[in-house]
Amino acid sequence: ICGPNAAIHGLVYDGCNFFRQRLVLSTLSGKRVKIKNIRSRDDDPGLRDFEASLIRLLDKVTNGSRIEINQTGTVLFYQPGLLYGGCVEHDCNPQRSIGYYLEALLMLAPFMKTSLKATLRGVTNDPTDPTVDLLKSTALPLMKKFGIDGDGFELKVVKRGMAPGGGGEVVFTCPVRRTIRPVQLTDPGKIKRIRGVAYSVRVSPQMANRIVDSARGVLNHFLPDIYIYTDHMKGANSGKSPGFGLTLVAETLNGCFLSAEMTSTPQGQGDPVLPEDLGRNCAKLLLEEVYRGGCVDSSNQSLALLLMTLGQQDVSKVLLGPLSPYTIEFLRNIRDFFQVMFKIEVKKPSEDERNGGDKVLMTCVGVGYSNISKTLK
Amino acid sequence: LEKRHQQKHSGPKAEKKKLKKQKGSTEDDDQKRNPKAFAVQSAVRMAKTFHRAQDIKTKKHHIPLVDRSPFEPPPVVIVVVGPPRVGKSTLIRCLIKNFTRQKLGDICGPVTIVSGKKRRLTFMECNNDINTMIDLAKVADLVLMLIDASFGFEMETFEFLNICQVHGFPRIMGVLTHLDSFRNNKMLRKTKKNLKHRFWTEVYQGAKLFYLSGMVYGEYQTQEVKNLGRFISVMKFRPLVWQTSHPYVLVDRMEDLTDPERLRTDPKCNRTVSLYGYLRGTYLKNKGQVHIPGVGDFQVTGVNFLPDPCSLPDAQKKRALNEKERLLYAPMAGVGGVVYDKDAVYIDLPANHVKQQQDMVRPTTELVHSLIDTHATLDAKMASSKVSLFSSSEGSFYCFLSSGAPRWKESLQQKASEAFLRQQEAAPNLRKLVYGSVVEADDSEGEEEEVGGMFRVIRPQKCKRFQVNALDCSRFNPDTSHNWEAEEMLNSIMDCFVTGKWKECQDAATLLKEDEELFGDFEDLETGEVHEGQTGLQDQAEVHPVSLVKVDEEEVLKNKRLEKKRRLKERFDAEYDDGDATYFDDLKEEMQKQAELNRLEFEDVDNETRVQYEGFRPGMYIRLEISSLPCEFVINFDPHYPIILGGLGSSEGNVGYLQMRLKKHRWYERILKTRDPLILSLGWRRFQTIPLYHIEDHNGRHRLLKYTPQHMHCGASIWGPITPQGTGFLAVQSVAGAKANFRIAATGVVLDLDKSVTVVKKLKLIGYPYKIFKNTCFIKGMFNTVLEVVKFEGASVRTVSGVRGQIKKALTTHPGAFRATFEDRLLMSDIVFLRSWYPVCVPQLYNPVTSLLLPVGQKDSWAGMRTLGQLKHDLGIRNKPNTDSLYMPVNRAQRRFNPLHIPKELQKALPFKSKPKQQQPKGKMPRDLQRPSVIREPHEKKVAALLHALSTVHNYKRKKAHLVQHTRHKEFLQQKEKQEEAKLKRQKEARKKLYRVMGQMEQKQHRSSLKGVPQDD
Repeated sequence: ICGPNAAIHGLVYDGCNFFRQRLVLSTLSGKRVKIKNIRSRDDDPGLRDFEASLIRLLDKVTNGSRIEINQTGTVLFYQPGLLYGGCVEHDCNPQRSIGYYLEALLMLAPFMKTSLKATLRGVTNDPTDPTVDLLKSTALPLMKKFGIDGDGFELKVVKRGMAPGGGGEVVFTCPVRRTIRPVQLTDPGKIKRIRGVAYSVRVSPQMANRIVDSARGVLNHFLPDIYIYTDHMKGANSGKSPGFGLTLVAETLNGCFLSAEMTSTPQGQGDPVLPEDLGRNCAKLLLEEVYRGGCVDSSNQSLALLLMTLGQQDVSKVLLGPLSPYTIEFLRNIRDFFQVMFKIEVKKPSEDERNGGDKVLMTCVGVGYSNISKTLK
Repeated sequence: LEKRHQQKHSGPKAEKKKLKKQKGSTEDDDQKRNPKAFAVQSAVRMAKTFHRAQDIKTKKHHIPLVDRSPFEPPPVVIVVVGPPRVGKSTLIRCLIKNFTRQKLGDICGPVTIVSGKKRRLTFMECNNDINTMIDLAKVADLVLMLIDASFGFEMETFEFLNICQVHGFPRIMGVLTHLDSFRNNKMLRKTKKNLKHRFWTEVYQGAKLFYLSGMVYGEYQTQEVKNLGRFISVMKFRPLVWQTSHPYVLVDRMEDLTDPERLRTDPKCNRTVSLYGYLRGTYLKNKGQVHIPGVGDFQVTGVNFLPDPCSLPDAQKKRALNEKERLLYAPMAGVGGVVYDKDAVYIDLPANHVKQQQDMVRPTTELVHSLIDTHATLDAKMASSKVSLFSSSEGSFYCFLSSGAPRWKESLQQKASEAFLRQQEAAPNLRKLVYGSVVEADDSEGEEEEVGGMFRVIRPQKCKRFQVNALDCSRFNPDTSHNWEAEEMLNSIMDCFVTGKWKECQDAATLLKEDEELFGDFEDLETGEVHEGQTGLQDQAEVHPVSLVKVDEEEVLKNKRLEKKRRLKERFDAEYDDGDATYFDDLKEEMQKQAELNRLEFEDVDNETRVQYEGFRPGMYIRLEISSLPCEFVINFDPHYPIILGGLGSSEGNVGYLQMRLKKHRWYERILKTRDPLILSLGWRRFQTIPLYHIEDHNGRHRLLKYTPQHMHCGASIWGPITPQGTGFLAVQSVAGAKANFRIAATGVVLDLDKSVTVVKKLKLIGYPYKIFKNTCFIKGMFNTVLEVVKFEGASVRTVSGVRGQIKKALTTHPGAFRATFEDRLLMSDIVFLRSWYPVCVPQLYNPVTSLLLPVGQKDSWAGMRTLGQLKHDLGIRNKPNTDSLYMPVNRAQRRFNPLHIPKELQKALPFKSKPKQQQPKGKMPRDLQRPSVIREPHEKKVAALLHALSTVHNYKRKKAHLVQHTRHKEFLQQKEKQEEAKLKRQKEARKKLYRVMGQMEQKQHRSSLKGVPQDD
């Protein structure tokens, strides 16, 4: 009765959705988690390869984790160890892109024992997950606002690998922090410039230029300061599959980044897209993102909220666009793991302003989390 | 007698003085009048002074922290410590009487009083049990340390001071009692001084030590107690790291809520207990984990806040408290609307409060009822076949039909879908959407159909909002209703870009205009013309005619004005202040802003909601419910022992390996042995564990030590609760009973947390050569199989004499033998060893000290695992020493050496003096070489004697003459020297004279030449 473990029974969840969130929060809070009924009614029950790959990655960056999976793979029990960090190499399963794995790693990286240097191999760009380019241009500057910066904070795309073949390589390095700074991101400011990367591999280099032209056609309406780089990788750096895509980032005066992206459909999966269409649609996605607004773009909402939760015991505020379903579930999970609730206020734009849709102001008091892995010298 | 100095009050001198005083001598003035005194005398000295001044200035800086102290702080915890019979209870009684005019009999448990308009105090007496001392040191804000002056310091006092030092130093105030036992005044003064200085060395130089001189009718003197009370009520406290980062409650009331029926059937069942107290430290989250020192870790079932039983007076402008406001709250002592009995607490609560609680409880019990009812068999339900309706405010939510599935789930689903629709239609209440009634995880039992009674058809659900097994993706797909071709859509985001319209306060045009306003008014000094800004006039003109504007418009204008003022002030500040703002100042300002924000953010939210966002605030009076406390906690409850609820941070409830830096206390008499169990006080916890001591080698290796070093830090690895790095701990070997000696064995700090350890110990493998070929050697006895050798191929080995070598290859002839090469030829008598490092595992013992569960009166007798030495002592086992290790008398045999034999050839070659012949004793002289001895005749004898006598005389004469000659020669030399000296002197004189003449001549020449030049012109 008196042992420290006896009092915790752990948290129990159903289904494989929001799998990453739960494992990440479990690792950070030290609470064990049990996930049941993972695709138990599916024709192909149990964990998929990409989830297994994520678990393996978690095992690599932690020390002393206990993972138990039943015979069919429908029940997972995870008792987190301490985050260890160091040099990690991981071959990500090509069912999901590296972004899937990297999103989890971004949340864990600042709380390791030694600074992380992760080399991830697999699919760098695919249509489902945020690509590495997007994370590089939005998640990293966001984390810098929370005091996670320094020369060792970098995400480098060494090789580009499109879905479904993969063959890309990304190096992510991140320093460790003992505490996270509270932030007040309530005013995004106006967008001052738009940047982007149009990439193409194993297709004609002209594709990238065609994308750029069409994307500029839409965006020139708003802003003159637009520059879209073309990135054509060749030879060993171009991965295994052909493809192209575009990532657009809008930077505001206050240093907030909103982004949108689009990738060509993977080879042999659906209708091919024209680069002109892709460029135009991607630009529209960026406009949609601008319409949603906020200081954090829609795919990084959960990262911002997590870092706010893990801050010191101070009030943090951040203005977001409408909450995505993923973020809503993340908020619930934060309440389960850290007992933190956010004050959620809807900010309606005033009538004479043309600033897009409703915004949401999220306020919370940090839990005073400190990195328990870092060694004291 | 000297005359006193008369100051002039009138006259010129007085005038002069008055004038001087009026002007005031400034530094500038002094500098002008006496510039030399202010000149730089020495650059080095000036540099040094500057350096020192800067050093002092910088030393005063601390890292600025956000001020998180609560607005309405909890009562200050005052712990009264001291050896028995020193007057602890008397002092508390006196202080309480001083503040509240009430007399308290037995002091048990914490006593809370209102001491002033803004301060409340909680007194807690600390008995002499080391467990209590450790627990109370962790929660104390102020320690009143009672010292018996007639006896002096006792070991417990020093122990308590050391405990405080480890767990963060609270304010400590010494109080000397029993001063009336001194008859001799001089002795009293001397003792006071001695004790004061000893106290200062322990706490800090100049620490406050209070003297309570004597007793009047069993109480301390009123005036002295009053003074002490004043000191306490103005005292300031520093924030301690552990206390400000963890919530904690010093429990002042305990209730057993266990069902009496269950108690009757099973008196030893786990109890549900509610504990009350002021929350201190930091925010407490609901459903968190707490540690109760002396009991263990528990999950809090529920927390709620209660009206303050000992509240501060309402803010009113007056000096003192009136009688009504001098509240006293000590439920454990039976005061303050609460009666304390042996096994129950009777509380007098307002009626509305009780009702509130009941309301809260009802729905959950209904839910439980509905669940219980489903356990009834289907047949039974069919038999009854009734529709049972529950009287619920929410209507038909809990209505029952005779079906197998629990209906409340369905109703929840229905409720959820309704809520979702409502949320879609009306203005979305996001809070409810996110946190309220989350029911996405419904299973689809209701929609399953049975086929042939055996298989179930599963239909994928489409209507669910979030499918439990959907794709896990963070991307937020765009709203399809937005058509980004349309012009109005594009227009709706126009202002998000720098090219769009700006807010009035940010617009470049308005800003420019404002600048004009600000700097527009000026007076041309040369012409005397006054220029006025155009806009100001216009504004006035605009405002003037519209005097009947609405109130809200006025408000807007006012706000605008305020805003403008603020901006102007900002700009002014930026221009004049920020010039010399350092990084430190900026940081401080940032912290201040954050503190302000923290305070204001939730200020106007009602408490119920605020608690959900922030957690329970320190200063609140809260009630925590804990289920499954061991029954001994209630049965053996003793209010004299403090119950502390220490909140645990995330993952502080887990166990792992801790690496710490440890130092044996210099007052502890024995060194500590690896693997001997030790009781640690770390964080909130007290627990027994088995440490391994180690030290770090130069290459970062942690080498196991058998014992702690005497006067040095060493590492210690334990299996224990995860506690943040930097937390201090102390170790004792036993907490049972009182001992005369100092009990704190070691102190230290946590350095690292991990789930594995890397402590190694040295292992030497020994082998013996059995065949030697030059530098190669076959060695056996080190390993047993070929496989073992293969693992060590290439490893370096060494002989005892220091010859180094390497393992080359395993041999098949002897299992475990190998070939090795060395830097020199070995001898058969050499011993070869291989030095290796063997990892040691830390024993996983974590045994919390459950002293609070022991029966009343035996709470200080907790005994855990015994050390090996204790076990041996208790069981009477003596160690049988290794016979090889025993000392024996040493018998050394006489050593004999053979003579040195040099071959003949070599002897021949040797030089003559080194030939061994020389060293041999000489043999007998042959006869022919021996000289015959001479024997004289009598006449010859006489002649020889005469010759001898003559030669003696001659020798004597010669010697005498020589002596005379010698003295004469000496005199001669002296004389000669004198003459020489005189000659030199003479010559010097002459030379001097010559030079003088020459010099004069030269001067003359020079002068004449100088004179000669103008003469030439």
